[in-house]
Amino acid sequence: MSAVMLEGVSKVFNAGRADEVTALTGVDLTVAGGEFVSLIGPSGCGKSTLLRLVGDLIQPSAGTVTVAGKPARTARVDQEYGIAFQQAGLFDWRTVQRNVELPLELRGSSRKERAERAREMLELVGLVEFAGHYPAQLSGGMQQRVAIARALAVHPPLLLMDEPFGALDEMTRERLQDELLRICASTGTSTIFVTHSIPEAVYLSDRVVVMSARPGRITDVVPIDLGARGETTRQSPGFFTGITKVRRALRGDAVPAEAPA
Amino acid sequence: MNRRLRLVLGVGAALVVGVALWEGYKAVGDPDGTVLFGARVLPRTDDAAMPHVWTILSRFGEPELAGGDPIWLVVLQACLFTLRSVAIGFVAGGLIGLLLAVLMQRLRVVERGLLPYVILSQTVPLIALAPVIAGWGGRLSIGTYPWQPWMSVTVIAMYLAFFPVAVGMLRGLQSPAPIAEELMRSYAAGWWQTLVKLRLPASTPYLFPALRLAAAAAVVGAVVGEISTGTRGGVGRLVIEYSREATTDPAKVFTAMIGAAALGLAVAGVVGLSEFLVGQRRVRA
Repeated sequence: MSAVMLEGVSKVFNAGRADEVTALTGVDLTVAGGEFVSLIGPSGCGKSTLLRLVGDLIQPSAGTVTVAGKPARTARVDQEYGIAFQQAGLFDWRTVQRNVELPLELRGSSRKERAERAREMLELVGLVEFAGHYPAQLSGGMQQRVAIARALAVHPPLLLMDEPFGALDEMTRERLQDELLRICASTGTSTIFVTHSIPEAVYLSDRVVVMSARPGRITDVVPIDLGARGETTRQSPGFFTGITKVRRALRGDAVPAEAPA
Repeated sequence: MNRRLRLVLGVGAALVVGVALWEGYKAVGDPDGTVLFGARVLPRTDDAAMPHVWTILSRFGEPELAGGDPIWLVVLQACLFTLRSVAIGFVAGGLIGLLLAVLMQRLRVVERGLLPYVILSQTVPLIALAPVIAGWGGRLSIGTYPWQPWMSVTVIAMYLAFFPVAVGMLRGLQSPAPIAEELMRSYAAGWWQTLVKLRLPASTPYLFPALRLAAAAAVVGAVVGEISTGTRGGVGRLVIEYSREATTDPAKVFTAMIGAAALGLAVAGVVGLSEFLVGQRRVRA
């Protein structure tokens, strides 16, 4: 079963009014279980809109969105995905642990179960010793790790990320990229990852979905095959080839024919 | 500990400065007051207009009327009488304000329809409103329990207290960032869960300033309400009664005024204490 399936999806904001905007049109996309897919494109190409459609935070004007084999709305209600944004968006009146527990609280888990799960998640992101801290006491990178822990707290099969590392410095960013890949591999989570950065998209993804604006649509899908990521991956020829391919696709140049995975 | 010591020293210093200003002006000021362009800009300094601080303080120890209770006891009892109206008015007004804010946040149409009336309610002069409320009250009863004059005063205190809470809490409930709301939606949280887990906690920085304003408004409302409805027993009434004796016993009215001020400070102190206790649970970086 595919993790996400979009068929003929389009989204029009303010339909029928003078300020009508076609944010997305004719989107077909399938994300396989355990697959890491990045969405990349210029501002206004609808990549965040696409992410929000998958999360049922907004509804499509046409087409169907299926998540974990269910309609998007059912999937949201069943907490089939976790989501993280560019801002960590932690609740500053809650400790780190209570922030991670929030989604569990809302689904009615017991106190003991919440504490165990929060500990497990904080171990995953390496912040166990900060469980009792408040968000304001953490650095931006640490806050973002807490946000990822929170997104994964209910063990969702799907992770939606909207430029989660966009506000971080380059070094923190690369460290968190490695951490994210490790987490996704160890939990088997499928991921849709929105980014502005070509190297980030290439490094993280199994496939990079290239989009263009006015109207927002998918123009290309670039498969990436770098094998297991490691120290040397960022210097490998394959990495640079991938970057070149995505860059060409973004510019709209012809990409050497290659069947999308 | 150091901070507490500094606070105590600060309060002490403020009192000393206040007394020094009062006595200093009394010592050097013109007994007929300072007149600029035919208008008196500073008060007379004779003993009838500005009694010495020690005269006022010693007045607290003397009986109200010959052979009666000492005045500190009379003022204290009056303050406690007024405190009942203040406390009930503050709590009820706060709850009504909170309820209105939640309603206005929940339904945009309610906000548009209601907010102008909420603002309008505060532009009606209290002096005009108080007798009307007292008049309505006279025709009401709670079950078999007849309406008491202090209840009218409570209603006036409540009427002033709900406003800052309604406006402040509306801002507070609307304060969460859009992504926080999307996050709650992604967890399939309903309206009530979003209110309890997100909006209410996020609004505490707006709540306490609003409560402090509401507390002050409740005290002013109760004191002015007592005066304008002619309710007996409270410190507002005492201010009026004692001011009639200002020519023969000038220190007396100041005891009632100090009592009213102390009442306001006490209520503000309760709000401050509750804010401190809530803040204790939240460490700031």
